[in-house]
Amino acid sequence: MKDDGRGETPRTLTVTLDGQPVAAAPGETVLTVARRAGVDIPTLCHDDRLAPTGACRMCLVESSDSRRMVPACRHPVSDGLAVQTDTPDVQRHRRALLALYLADQPGAPTPGSDLERLARRYGVEPGVPAVEAPRAGRPDDANRFIAFRADRCILCARCTRYCDAVAGVAAITLANRGAHTTIATAGDAGLLDTSCELCGGCVDTCPAGALVERSAEAAIDAGAPLEVVRSTCNYCGVGCQIDLHVDRVANAVVRVTSPPPGTTTNDGNLCVKGRFAFGFIDHPDRLTAPLVRGADGALHATDWDTALGRAAELLTGVSARYGPDALGFVSSSRCTNEENYLVQKLARAGFGTNNVHQCAAT
Amino acid sequence: MPDGAPPRTYHHRGDEAGRRRDADQARVLPLFDAHGGLRPGAVRAIQAETGVPAATVHGVGSFYHLIARPDVEARVCEGLSCRMRGADRVLAGLRAEGRAVEGCACLGQCDRAPAVLWAGAEAGHGFEIGTGAEPGSVAAPHLTPSSPDLAIDLAAPDDPTWPALEAARHLGPAGVRVELRAARLRGRGGAGFPAHLKWDAVAAAPPGPRVVVCNADEGEPGTFKDREVLVRRPHRLLEGLAIAAHAVGADRIVIYLRGEFEGPRRALEAAVAQARGAGHLDGLSVEIALGHGAYICGEETALLEALEGRRGMPRHKPPFPTEAGLFGRPTLINNVESLACVPAIVQRGGAWFAGLGRGEASGTKLFSVSGDVARPGVYELPLGVTFGEVLEAAGGVAGGRALGAFSPGGASSGLLPPDAVDVVMDFGPLAERGSMLGSAGVVVLDETRDLLDAALTQARFFRAESCGQCAPCRIGTQVLVRLLERARDGEATAADRDTLERVAWEMDAGSICGLGMAAPLPALHLVRYFPDALRTRGPAEGG
Repeated sequence: MKDDGRGETPRTLTVTLDGQPVAAAPGETVLTVARRAGVDIPTLCHDDRLAPTGACRMCLVESSDSRRMVPACRHPVSDGLAVQTDTPDVQRHRRALLALYLADQPGAPTPGSDLERLARRYGVEPGVPAVEAPRAGRPDDANRFIAFRADRCILCARCTRYCDAVAGVAAITLANRGAHTTIATAGDAGLLDTSCELCGGCVDTCPAGALVERSAEAAIDAGAPLEVVRSTCNYCGVGCQIDLHVDRVANAVVRVTSPPPGTTTNDGNLCVKGRFAFGFIDHPDRLTAPLVRGADGALHATDWDTALGRAAELLTGVSARYGPDALGFVSSSRCTNEENYLVQKLARAGFGTNNVHQCAAT
Repeated sequence: MPDGAPPRTYHHRGDEAGRRRDADQARVLPLFDAHGGLRPGAVRAIQAETGVPAATVHGVGSFYHLIARPDVEARVCEGLSCRMRGADRVLAGLRAEGRAVEGCACLGQCDRAPAVLWAGAEAGHGFEIGTGAEPGSVAAPHLTPSSPDLAIDLAAPDDPTWPALEAARHLGPAGVRVELRAARLRGRGGAGFPAHLKWDAVAAAPPGPRVVVCNADEGEPGTFKDREVLVRRPHRLLEGLAIAAHAVGADRIVIYLRGEFEGPRRALEAAVAQARGAGHLDGLSVEIALGHGAYICGEETALLEALEGRRGMPRHKPPFPTEAGLFGRPTLINNVESLACVPAIVQRGGAWFAGLGRGEASGTKLFSVSGDVARPGVYELPLGVTFGEVLEAAGGVAGGRALGAFSPGGASSGLLPPDAVDVVMDFGPLAERGSMLGSAGVVVLDETRDLLDAALTQARFFRAESCGQCAPCRIGTQVLVRLLERARDGEATAADRDTLERVAWEMDAGSICGLGMAAPLPALHLVRYFPDALRTRGPAEGG
């Protein structure tokens, strides 16, 4: 298409989706337009945060500008384009493709995974014999958080693309080829020996249950009902929203995930602490009440009024005897911005010293 | 995916994050050669030299067999023609000697079956080809005798004076393209796409650097004609490339040469040096880039990925390479044989070339003929001859036996029955039979051959050479092999034939590129043309 510079390229296109005219903008994909119009097109390798690859073939639809079916996730719209998302051929394709994916799984697909949901929704062509693809895993990977079950991988490459394009880490890659293709690290090293930051974004984006939290592996495979409780991560001041997945029978949190991309400040992402370091929640050593050191030299649980009163008494005592610069205030990286503000206010305005620091400042 | 999440526009960082700003991925594959393949330390060293992340470097190297397994001493061709001449025995024999040996995809030496590729002193190249278990013992193929009515004329001496380039300069870029249109040259690499459409598209691209790429990654099983062009007529190929660059306004030529082709590499390098000395290449940059053992890189967009230092996984089209090819530049990609036709077209006119063909067909065509024929070789015949004429040119079925089946255009064309002997060897007529002319790699099987085994050979080839990017091809090729093995072992169920057709349909409809679309043909043809080959194997015919 040549743009003659006089702005004759139409700003608004009309696309026909399953017979219904829909407005679209130049450069949009069929998938984007269909989602806006409420037309459901199934996807596996698509993640809004990643450039589309069209590799999983789940989103193929019929399009008037192509003899063959096209991947909706990366097919650009054009004016007058007619797209059919639910023809007999599209339905047949979905069933046949899902049958191939399932033939390549070690058993039933992982409960709750996108793959399992789509297979239930669209059905699978019968009769396809199971194959055993020789995908290598990393059985000796000593990291405590992320399990890679190679036999369940569908090679959509969402994990490698997330690691590369969103996390900017590039610790994992598609490796080998054909049936041997797998997700690997350089030299098949364990994740701890790579650039991996254990953010777990790969686990989060996996649509097949091939990458899972070790803490939740058993619960996921059993299809155990987990209750999701929204909370705020308390490891730093960013305020990432987190979803705690609670096994009510065991009364334990088994995994932490981010709310979907585009919905909260963390935009679908978490760091290693927020996602994996939730063991403190029911740890026996967790502090549940303030402690004050008694005359016996040991720490004793008490109430907040008593604890704060004791702290105030000692701090003002030091200030009165040696001057405010004898005091120094250090706030925790787990404090919010507002809490950090209050700490410096306490130091500067309350006691009159500039000896204040925040442990994440350097 | 988050249903109900508010729409949100993401700025795609592509796959460029995580690498150094000046990362030079195009150097990754040549550096693997320098480091002797995927060996301990190589990945870190290449990361340090290029700025490409270590995992990415590993992922690229592991894709290519010649890089991924640098310690293999000998690779035994498991192509159909080589298996028919005892490749299994050669492989077993070398294994029994304790050598580091493995089977490999067709080596393009079908006339020298059973062919073995021996590792040389240099890692990654320096290979030596042999027939049977002895390196270096190969014979020259039979050729069509030299004649003025041949567009390429393999048996004639190569002409280092490049007279057609001079003629092309007189015609001017547009004039050359007019002759090409008149020649009705259809791409000789396999797809048969009209060459002038590509040339015109690149010539019409917006101003800026353009590239001409020669696809010399000959790998379609049963095909060895580009090999002979490269060895015998490298000047004719280079002259065709220079004319193409002139006609589309390119100043850069890249020849992507199959890495296993050691003899062709030496011939090509010598011709490039000679042409440079003669001043033919003034103003043109010419590079020879070596492949590293991946059939899929003969697919033009996978080839571009390899040249850019990535895993050879085909791109989606559009955009076509003529719009955005090598490093995003408008790129003309033509096969060796197509380009070698160009000098004669320019010198003698497009109408002359078109008149060489028979009927609707245009030009002469190189047929690689191997298998059970008296004289395996490369025959240049008018496009549009019948299969029977091709067979006759190669001396007929060997040993006076009857024809059992034939593959008209490489593994991608499947297998046709003896009653198709009069089929016209052109793109259209073969497509009507559910086959294809492809690269015209003809493999002949006599009446004693096990056709189920032949189909299994071809199905295993596609399984091994699938890039793995899309599920219809990656998993479909595995399922087809499984179904054929069940038939071989008498374990097929009544429903297997339906399953085979359903999976074949999905591979055709759902695959990204032509490999997955062609891969089911051998199995499908067995069902369609050779029901006996399955019927004798047990209860499969119940379906």
